[in-house]
Amino acid sequence: MNIVELNELRYRWKGQSSDILRIPELTITKGEHVFLRGESGSGKTTLLNLLAGILSPTEGSIKLLEKDLSHASSMAKDRFRADHMGVIFQQFNLLPYLSVVDNVTLPCHFSARRKKQAGDIQASAIQLLDHLQLHEGLRKSLVTELSVGQQQRVAVARALIGQPEIIIADEPTSALDTSTRDRFIELLFSQAEAQQSTIIFVSHDPHIAERFPRVIELSEINEAL
Amino acid sequence: MILFKLTWHSLWNRRVSVILTLLSIAISVSLLLGVEYIRKEAKTSFLNTISGTDLVVGARSGPVQLLLYSVFRIGNATNNITWDSYQTLAEHKRVAWTIPFSLGDSHKGYRVLGTNQDYFKYYQYSNKQPLALSAGKQFDGVYDAVIGAEVAKQLNYKVGTTITLAHGAAATSFSEHKNKPFNIVGILKPTGTPIDRTVHVSLEGIEAIHIDWKAGSPVAGFEISAEKAARMNLTPTNITAFLVGLKSRATTFRVQREINEFEKEPLLAVVPGVALAELWQSIGQFETVLRIITLFVLVAGLLGMLTTLLSTLNERRREMAILRAVGAYPWHVFLLFLLEALIIVVLGCVLGCLLVFFGVQLAQPWVTAEYGLHLSTWILNWDDAVLLLLVTGLAVVFSTLPALIAYRRALQDGLTVKV
Repeated sequence: MNIVELNELRYRWKGQSSDILRIPELTITKGEHVFLRGESGSGKTTLLNLLAGILSPTEGSIKLLEKDLSHASSMAKDRFRADHMGVIFQQFNLLPYLSVVDNVTLPCHFSARRKKQAGDIQASAIQLLDHLQLHEGLRKSLVTELSVGQQQRVAVARALIGQPEIIIADEPTSALDTSTRDRFIELLFSQAEAQQSTIIFVSHDPHIAERFPRVIELSEINEAL
Repeated sequence: MILFKLTWHSLWNRRVSVILTLLSIAISVSLLLGVEYIRKEAKTSFLNTISGTDLVVGARSGPVQLLLYSVFRIGNATNNITWDSYQTLAEHKRVAWTIPFSLGDSHKGYRVLGTNQDYFKYYQYSNKQPLALSAGKQFDGVYDAVIGAEVAKQLNYKVGTTITLAHGAAATSFSEHKNKPFNIVGILKPTGTPIDRTVHVSLEGIEAIHIDWKAGSPVAGFEISAEKAARMNLTPTNITAFLVGLKSRATTFRVQREINEFEKEPLLAVVPGVALAELWQSIGQFETVLRIITLFVLVAGLLGMLTTLLSTLNERRREMAILRAVGAYPWHVFLLFLLEALIIVVLGCVLGCLLVFFGVQLAQPWVTAEYGLHLSTWILNWDDAVLLLLVTGLAVVFSTLPALIAYRRALQDGLTVKV
């Protein structure tokens, strides 16, 4: 099953004379762990926003889970993201005023599908946190008391809860040191595999690339550059 | 439900500024409700300056003027009523009681009222409350005086103090009735009405001090001593006004018409309630002014809230991006801000109500002791509820501005805020 299918995708900011993104073809299949490498200015952010349904393509089509979303309403795309995507940011992923567990269960409150798939959302969150080696002591602490590495793992648990098909990680390791980074990626991989989620991992760090079975150089597929 | 939880936790996370905003709204609300309450209490108290009296009768002039000099001791009568006319009307078959008023003298700026014992028997104020003495007894002798609570307090008079009355109403009158001093025999409890500022003596006392006077000044070389005067015939020839209590209230307008058409001399009878309401309307402009001021205070409070909401927009940009990432729609973000304003303003209203309630409870005993006014307990009435709804509505309208900004940003930022 194709998770992502881009066809003659073009994106141009309003008022600009040239495209920032032009991708003739890109396919990502189910369960793949894809490393999307690109320097800043390579259209990385734009591609992510297109995939997440924040932006609509100027031309061409985006199919996610074999569903054409290029011309869907923003409401429908928001719904799709809530149901099928987990997002991990570079940093500051968590709401400081919620507990660790409440942060993890957050997507279930905005998506009935993910809530249903998670079952008992509290238990599901705790199980995920356990697997990500965030044990009871850490679960009870304030979000702001956690280290950056721990916060990023909580973000992974939140992205994974309710088994979304797609995990989008936008430079999630850039604030981590080498050993924390490696452990983070291991845990992300094992948990994503456990529920067969596809990972689209964006970064400019070539060291991480080695760990991925598939590396896409944005500069190679983006003809607008 | 999750939105409510998020809003609540988010508010708690920013509690210092939120509590300050809440306080400013609570104070504005309590001011608004407090002024409304005072306005109503003042009106009730004013309309109840005199009660139980069916008609106030004086020489023919305007109803407001009659009310002013007879009930409020302001201004002077243009003319008097002859004792004969008064007697005739007092014995009218529908009249239950009358209280004669003789005005025109003063003591250190406080008006002197000549009357008789019926005053203590029939006069009522507020909610049909009779007069009560806090010290001493009613006047009995010709040179006895009973003073109001404020007179006693301001001039520091006790039972047994001797005072002299001055001719005319000014505080610095030159013609005093020095040779006929009065003895204070009683002090009235505070009533919250002009009675507190009145010196009461008998009609005979008024007659006695004027017995050797003619046309408003003492007759030279013709002085009658106090003792001698007291033994003379002191039946007055004139009074200024009188109050009438009827046997049946239903006959009020018939008796009023009869008095107004009285043949022997031109008289005017007014129904005090009607005249008081008329007078209140003419001086009631301050109500509107008060209301406008409090509305401005309220708008200031709400603008404060708006400022706080707007100032949090930037620091909460990250929060909104996270929510969008986990699946919140842009209108969730909009609602989040609206809900926040709603929570603040509802809590502010509740706190404001509590402030007014306990404020009134605290002030009650003091106001009763000091001014003789009985404050009713503050309870949220329909008018207040409408005001509070208005406040809440206004707050919601105000908060749509930050909510809209947050909404638009949520659409633009997407998942890419790198704050």
